[in-house]
Amino acid sequence: MRSFIRRYPRMVIGASIILAVICLAIAAPILFPFSPWEMRGAPFEPPGSPGFILGSDALGRDIAAGLAHGTWVSLLIGGVSTLASLGIGISLGALAGYVGGRVDDAVMRFAEFFQTIPSFLLAILLVAIFRPSIFSIITAIALVSWPPVARVVRAEFLSLRKREFVQAAEVLGVSHFRIVWQTLLPNALPPVIVLGSLMVANAVLTESALSFLGLGDANWMSWGFLVGSGRSVIRIGWWISVLPGVAIVITVLGLNLLGEGLQTWLNPRLSKRDLP
Amino acid sequence: MSDFDPMRDSTHVRSYRSPSRRALLKAGVAAAATAPFLMRIDEAIAQGITPKRGGTLTSLLTPEPPVLMIGVNAQGPTLTAVSKIFQPLFTYTPTLDFEPVLAKSWTISDDKKVYTFHLQENVKFHDGQPMTADDVIFSAMKFWMTLSLRARIIFARIEKAEAPDPHTVVFTLKEPFAPFLYGFGGTGFMIVPKHLYDVADLRNNPNNAKPVGTGPFKFVEWQRGSFIRLRRNEEYWKPNQPYLDEIVYRIVPDSQSRALALQSGQVQLAGGNDIEPFDLPRFQAQPNLSVTLKGWEYYGPLAWIDINKRVKPLDDARVRRAMSMALDRNFILQKLWFGSGKVATGPLCETTKFYDASVKLPPFDLAAANKLLDEAGHKPDASGVRFTIRHLPLPYGEVWTRLSEYFRASMQKIGINVTMETTDAGSHSARMAKWDYETSINYIYQVGDANIGMEQYFTSENIKNVAFNNVGGYSNPRVDELLAKSRYAIDPVERQKLLSEFQRIAVDDMPYIYLLQMSFPTYYAKRLNNTVTTAMGIADDFDDVFLA
Amino acid sequence: MSSNRLQAMPRLIGWRVLKMAAMVLAIVVVNFLLIHAAPGDPASAIAGQSGQADAEFMRQLREQFGLDKPLPLQLWIYIERVLTLDLGVSHRLQRPILTVIFERLPATLLLTGTAFLIALASGVALGVRAARKPGGIADTLIMGGSLFFYATPLFLVGIVLVLVFGVWLNWLPTFGMETVDMPLQGIARATDIARHAVLPVITLAVFYSAVYVRLTRASMVEVSSYPFIKTARAKGASETRIRWVHMLRNALLPVITLAGIQAGHLVGGSILVETVFAWPGIGSLAFEALLARDYDLLLGIFLCTSVVVLTFNLLTDLVYLAFDPRVQAL
Repeated sequence: MRSFIRRYPRMVIGASIILAVICLAIAAPILFPFSPWEMRGAPFEPPGSPGFILGSDALGRDIAAGLAHGTWVSLLIGGVSTLASLGIGISLGALAGYVGGRVDDAVMRFAEFFQTIPSFLLAILLVAIFRPSIFSIITAIALVSWPPVARVVRAEFLSLRKREFVQAAEVLGVSHFRIVWQTLLPNALPPVIVLGSLMVANAVLTESALSFLGLGDANWMSWGFLVGSGRSVIRIGWWISVLPGVAIVITVLGLNLLGEGLQTWLNPRLSKRDLP
Repeated sequence: MSDFDPMRDSTHVRSYRSPSRRALLKAGVAAAATAPFLMRIDEAIAQGITPKRGGTLTSLLTPEPPVLMIGVNAQGPTLTAVSKIFQPLFTYTPTLDFEPVLAKSWTISDDKKVYTFHLQENVKFHDGQPMTADDVIFSAMKFWMTLSLRARIIFARIEKAEAPDPHTVVFTLKEPFAPFLYGFGGTGFMIVPKHLYDVADLRNNPNNAKPVGTGPFKFVEWQRGSFIRLRRNEEYWKPNQPYLDEIVYRIVPDSQSRALALQSGQVQLAGGNDIEPFDLPRFQAQPNLSVTLKGWEYYGPLAWIDINKRVKPLDDARVRRAMSMALDRNFILQKLWFGSGKVATGPLCETTKFYDASVKLPPFDLAAANKLLDEAGHKPDASGVRFTIRHLPLPYGEVWTRLSEYFRASMQKIGINVTMETTDAGSHSARMAKWDYETSINYIYQVGDANIGMEQYFTSENIKNVAFNNVGGYSNPRVDELLAKSRYAIDPVERQKLLSEFQRIAVDDMPYIYLLQMSFPTYYAKRLNNTVTTAMGIADDFDDVFLA
Repeated sequence: MSSNRLQAMPRLIGWRVLKMAAMVLAIVVVNFLLIHAAPGDPASAIAGQSGQADAEFMRQLREQFGLDKPLPLQLWIYIERVLTLDLGVSHRLQRPILTVIFERLPATLLLTGTAFLIALASGVALGVRAARKPGGIADTLIMGGSLFFYATPLFLVGIVLVLVFGVWLNWLPTFGMETVDMPLQGIARATDIARHAVLPVITLAVFYSAVYVRLTRASMVEVSSYPFIKTARAKGASETRIRWVHMLRNALLPVITLAGIQAGHLVGGSILVETVFAWPGIGSLAFEALLARDYDLLLGIFLCTSVVVLTFNLLTDLVYLAFDPRVQAL
């Protein structure tokens, strides 16, 4: 164990941070057994005021409670949107890498298209046009973040396909589906796992940026929502935006450390170009 | 808010005033006493405040108007700028009495059907053409009838419009209509030159790019995204006026830059949307600036929660009353609007004609609200929830979103769950029009008389699939009757009686949860005089404004 | 450069330009689909904004926008219009969209361009420094810092800078691009703009610098094991020369590639930065359009920035083609 820590210090630090964040999410209802939307006192109370460890917002809501309750919404948005974009990316990448030829070409052009256009602007457009809701936010994030996954999976598939065990399976008449599902995918997974942890971090950042621009879901208290609600009153109550921002930094830092640690641990072939 | 610069009112200078008030008192429309703060120009001079010629007033417009033409666009920034170029027949005092502008005086026949306006005689448009009765009739019967829904409703009651001589206009109504004069004043009815506007397509008239009116200031140039420049009309019909040489409206998109410009004195006047609500306390403490909440008496914006009365359990007046009792209007006023305005007491603003001060809303009382809901049979379930309603926030900016959040949090305290459905402005009005909402927020302009701005939200004949109407489906035969009677009643005492009863019912039935009488602060340099003197606020002609 | 490659260049460039055109067309189609996917048609949006909603007015609007025609025809009309550089009119501003965007474009190019150059220069310099002794103190500090800024939301950096340098210390202007009410000329004006640009440029540069640091360091470490470095060393080249000439030239290639790809990200970042600092560019225009739900303008911004990004991509591609010894002529 000790040698593991010494060998992969980043991964351990990252994992500890994420674990702590998850604990906070779980403990939120115990620490703050009331709705984070509840107005519990005077507005614009600075951090450290009686009853408000981290201050209160423009409506007298408790920032600390909002932070704690918002944790799981932020993680949920990060996690679900990452799963969705992994789904898209793996399917398309596998298709391109396995079938090859024109299909490969088409998929790669498609991915290139999504990678070149200003993706954050596209996400803004999607959320604005389809109304800010937790669903549209997750969809938008997933839609703009799948191309790296597709690229990585495709590259893995291309190199794996030439390997003897895959060619042997083909000669033996194993169905394409089984080859992809049982032989190729498991071997292509390590870099995807690494990418996944970095994508959760990116999704948390994107959600907060969307919320900052006023595109958060008003029914779900998330860190991004807190940050956005403080934007216009930054000169009166800086803590409303800054403290949730710090929570985002810590979490994203943890996820990045975890991802880097995983990368050295699993040592997959992951091109720098594909890192988000 | 008692420190809002009482000086401003006492230095008020208005010269041409007496005939109208007499005329109106005779007509019995204006029952209110003469506003005590109005002062004759010679009295003002006696106090040592001599108007000074010269100087450029730099102000702000936010957001930039899409077009500088009355009628074509009725948004605040447009009206602020065009009100210097075009003029109405009369304007309104802060108590919403009439004060002549292009009409010297007017009389109303005893049967209240014939309105005769006597026009100022030496008025010229900016292109040199004289302004005559023909222009007034054209403006009413063609220009405003085409472009303004509100004018259409009021002027449709005109049977005939005649000009017995170039300076007299006679409107004959089909039947008496008590608030008829409120169709004419202020920014709702300004005189446009017939010789430039007698064309088919009023909206796309090329003259819209270079507005020509009778006002004290002429349009000079408009650099999009940067500024609008108006210059003194040297042939203005009031001798020696206006006092200012130029008015420049700067377009500054960023709110903090606007605040800085005002603070540093680069801009001497700001109002409307120019300054963020949360900057109000800061500027009130600023020594070189004055802040006033006056000047919104004519528009009288009243914010309320609109309720779809077809949806259970919102069809129950007890539920609506309980919801109203769970809202702390003082919190809304002080913490969301930073004290800019007054809490609502009923369906009318205090300044609106026939407002009844004895009508009161049930006080803020959570316990009583809970009890009322219990009595109405909406018991909370195991998790404390009585029922869930959907809410459509007003998509006009952050303060409205925050108001919706406040509404949700307050409802939660009495066991009502609120789900927010965020939309954009287009979908908001579309969904309201389709009755596809349960609760929403809106604000409506009262425009002076109880029978003008408010009526369409309360009468059952206005239950239509059209936004800004009675979309919530409120229907009370007694209210219909009261409003119809007061519309045609001739005697103001009688009207007051009818409208007082209406206000009491409107509070008992609570078809809307009245929240706030809004007003937007006007900020101006102390050396700017006569800034806000009428109920039109900064959307007035400014012919008496001067820089000391 | 071999003559073979020189001959191939025009074809290559032609190919890339063609690809770019296809991309632009794809974006136009995406735009069109987005407009029609929006709940409620543009007519009701305009009606809502103008506060008038009677049926006649709506019908006029629909006719005016051709919303009564079949969808494929509408798409064709839309493509035709875009190809003739007609992006339509913003109904909120009542002005042609392209004009509005071109007015704001220089401010954004100034901001993103400066930030990009600073990020690239500082990122590469720090990356090279960090790679000199992997695991050393400098490396740990630089990599720690870059990891931190990589994890910090852009708007948070901006807000903190506004608070510290604008509100608390009051050293630098935090809003706008120049002092509005003092018309300045020449050097005075340039200085004024530069002062306004300091904080937004730093905000935007910090994040991308963090990206380039990590990438440069990784490439440098990788390149250092290549045989030609050993050869150079054996020939007696100085360490400085080896690091800054031999190694960096090779390590820069992935950085250039990434820079091209990230041009699109830079636009996204500028929306946040311009919003925080009220920088009068495309980003704050997009934010205003977003607040007013002026979809036409938003889509126009999307199209225009995409074209700018694609052009930038094309340039980096060409730089890459011209200088990478490993890239074969197709």
